[in-house]
Amino acid sequence: MTKYVAKRIMWMLVTMLFVTFITFSLMHLVPGGPWDREKTLPPAVVEALNAKYGLDEPFFVQYGNYIWNAVQGDLGISYIYQDRNITDIIAQGLPKTALLGGVAFLLAILIGIPLGMAAALKQNTLIDYTSVGFATVFASIPGFIFGIFLIVIFSVMLHWLPTGGWGTPQHLIMPAIALAALPAAYTARITRASMLEVVRQDYIRTARAKGLRERTILLRHTLRNALIPVVTISGPELAALISGSFIIEQVFAIPGIGRLFVQGVFQRDYSLIMGTIIFYAFAIAVVNLIVDILYGVIDPRIRYD
Amino acid sequence: MKHKWLTKAGFMLATVLALAMFLPACNGDTTDPTTTAPPTTAAPMEFTVNLGGEPAQIDPNLASWAAERSVIGLVFEGLLGFNQDLTLKAVVADAIPTVANGGISADGKTYTFKIKTAATWSDGTKVTAQQFEYSIKRMLNPDLAAEYASFYWIIKGGEAYYSAVSATATEKATLKAAVGVTAVDASTLRITLERSSPTFLQLMALWPVYPVREDVITANGATWTEAGKYLGNGPYILKEWVHQDHMTFTPNTNYWGTKPKLTKITYKMITDINAAFAAYKNNELDITAPPGGTEKTVLADPVLSKEVVRYAELVTFAMQFNVTAAPFDNVKVRQAFSAAIDRSIYIDQIRNGVGQVALSWIPPGMPGYDPAANQYGFNPTKAKQLLAEAGYPNAVGLPTVKFQYANTGSNPQLAEFLQEQLRVNLGVTLVLEPMESKAFSQMVNEEKHTWAFFGWGADYPDPDNWLPEIFGTGGGVNHTLYSSAAFDAKMAQAMAELDNTKRLAFWAEAQKIALEDVPMVTLFHRERFVLVKPWVKGLKTTGMDGQIAGDQFYNEVYIQK
Repeated sequence: MTKYVAKRIMWMLVTMLFVTFITFSLMHLVPGGPWDREKTLPPAVVEALNAKYGLDEPFFVQYGNYIWNAVQGDLGISYIYQDRNITDIIAQGLPKTALLGGVAFLLAILIGIPLGMAAALKQNTLIDYTSVGFATVFASIPGFIFGIFLIVIFSVMLHWLPTGGWGTPQHLIMPAIALAALPAAYTARITRASMLEVVRQDYIRTARAKGLRERTILLRHTLRNALIPVVTISGPELAALISGSFIIEQVFAIPGIGRLFVQGVFQRDYSLIMGTIIFYAFAIAVVNLIVDILYGVIDPRIRYD
Repeated sequence: MKHKWLTKAGFMLATVLALAMFLPACNGDTTDPTTTAPPTTAAPMEFTVNLGGEPAQIDPNLASWAAERSVIGLVFEGLLGFNQDLTLKAVVADAIPTVANGGISADGKTYTFKIKTAATWSDGTKVTAQQFEYSIKRMLNPDLAAEYASFYWIIKGGEAYYSAVSATATEKATLKAAVGVTAVDASTLRITLERSSPTFLQLMALWPVYPVREDVITANGATWTEAGKYLGNGPYILKEWVHQDHMTFTPNTNYWGTKPKLTKITYKMITDINAAFAAYKNNELDITAPPGGTEKTVLADPVLSKEVVRYAELVTFAMQFNVTAAPFDNVKVRQAFSAAIDRSIYIDQIRNGVGQVALSWIPPGMPGYDPAANQYGFNPTKAKQLLAEAGYPNAVGLPTVKFQYANTGSNPQLAEFLQEQLRVNLGVTLVLEPMESKAFSQMVNEEKHTWAFFGWGADYPDPDNWLPEIFGTGGGVNHTLYSSAAFDAKMAQAMAELDNTKRLAFWAEAQKIALEDVPMVTLFHRERFVLVKPWVKGLKTTGMDGQIAGDQFYNEVYIQK
């Protein structure tokens, strides 16, 4: 297991290096740089800005410098927020994105799994149809559209919740629901399908034949096995929640990393783009690693040695 | 089935969880008064507006965008400033320097500013001339790379110092010492220029030369702009800055001038205009702009229509040609295109009636505005005739013409409007080229466009800021590549003329020359269309407001519910 994890971490670092190089190259290939704007800057000003940010160096020197500084924890200073460093900016945005993503993930699991179970155990009944119906609707509506609906109903019409921003638990309610809707629907559908498959397995019939209590069969035999596909999708789901927060953060004016990334791209803020990409790549790699380790815990057939 | 309880429990848990998310707000929790409290007469003087996003940075020497200026204007003030009618006023300076009062030397090259004895920083210490000297020299430092520094290259040695990017530290120190800014004593600042300039005083009213404190910057480094460290000399202090979310300001108790009436100003950072509009309706914001395209609906709304405030901005939009590329190297083609466009339809249908037809490059509200400067206003008969004179009767033989624009906001509708106008009025097929905004800017900056959308807003209210860079031969923002000896000659006269009346007359003539050649088709002057809650009193708007309506005079705003 330790060997497996060490190997995975090594590959993670290689992947990260690859991701940074591709991002760095793409950023410089995309037309338009950070100093391109309608009010053209005089050449001397552009020269001074390039010197300040090291953009007057050759491409590979710039990349090398960036990586060298990054491994030492220095992600550079932002081109837009000229007096602030990227590490600080990300550190301020991260807890918000993480909290939003975490709450949405929990919601998705806590709503999705019971809903899927209920649908499976009451197959072809009203409960099943309602659950599947809900899941289909929420899987079809983009999160930001759902978010706007929530704002119109709960802020503009009912005045119950703030339209956006950050600071109180109320600020988290609508964005978390908007973000959780799709993964909750997806989790419900996967859980339902998986449960239906497992309850038809021979070993469940055997368990019943042995006279085991229904509760034991359900919790120990059915649910545990049915959850394997749910765990499998939970990794990419969590990653999707983190990256899906781009638009939700925009709609609800949440000061998280997603919004920073979007701004970075539009403004060609190379260091902000790199910083957020490194963060996302790292977060997704770690989530995938955790999911792979969890497989072994849930499914005894999987061994890493 | 024995597992019925589990089925039911699962279903109920899911439902309850989904519903429970709304409960904290329903049970009368009022920890967030901005979201729930209706207006009351006992409300404190708190004012909340939307900055539209995180300000890029709020270091006066570095700032360049409207949102940054909205912050800086609350916390700092300069030697000079602008009145509501955009005339100059003395702020930290005790008087506007003139030749008569000895503030300007007879040759117009040396300016002496005397500082008000009452002017203090928010920590109670005196504002000194040394702090202005430090600030101006810091702004000109090539290592800081301030974007607005080029405005101040007219200061003796300013350009030489700023351009010494690759010089050694010693060389930079020598160049810095040679910059013509000197604190003669604690209350006297002397600035020497390379040449006399009729608009230098206007530059001294802008944010890049507001004073900053060397001790604060040295002690805190780049973090000096954070709340608690951001020390200014203006009417408010920055109390809190939750990045990407909001900033709050409270009155500076040591402020020398008119004491602010508001007890707290909050700048929210909502980037989505629809979200901001919803927040306004939910009474979370006191001012907002409605989403573009909803203006007519707003005017038809019995409540919102009473809250509309609209006023002209010093902003002009136009479509700039590349006059060196066919077919736009032919002046008659350009004139024909200008005459083929009915701008009033654009204002009415695309901009919902917000804005003013532009047949002048210089906008209304600025000296030099001439509503008939562009003589090629909408006239389809004349347009056809001009195109025929250019050698393309009924557009026959006209090469493919393209229009480039950033694919944002209402630009796509503008492009389609132009396409339709040219098709109907000239028989021209216009090919549209939408682009991502930075890619678009790069293309225009490299002059690879054929015909592109272009806008300009005032840095200071003078034709000097509007004509030379855009129409002068080799001007920094002259992407039309227009070059006219007659315009350049008139421009040279205007820039050297110290008599204001004569100077503005020269500029008016210069504008006329440029617009006769139609290097760009002037389209519209922007108008600000905002909603202001009825309890906001004392709002004073100007054509040069920053990000938020009326932000130049927030120390005069008060709340009366």
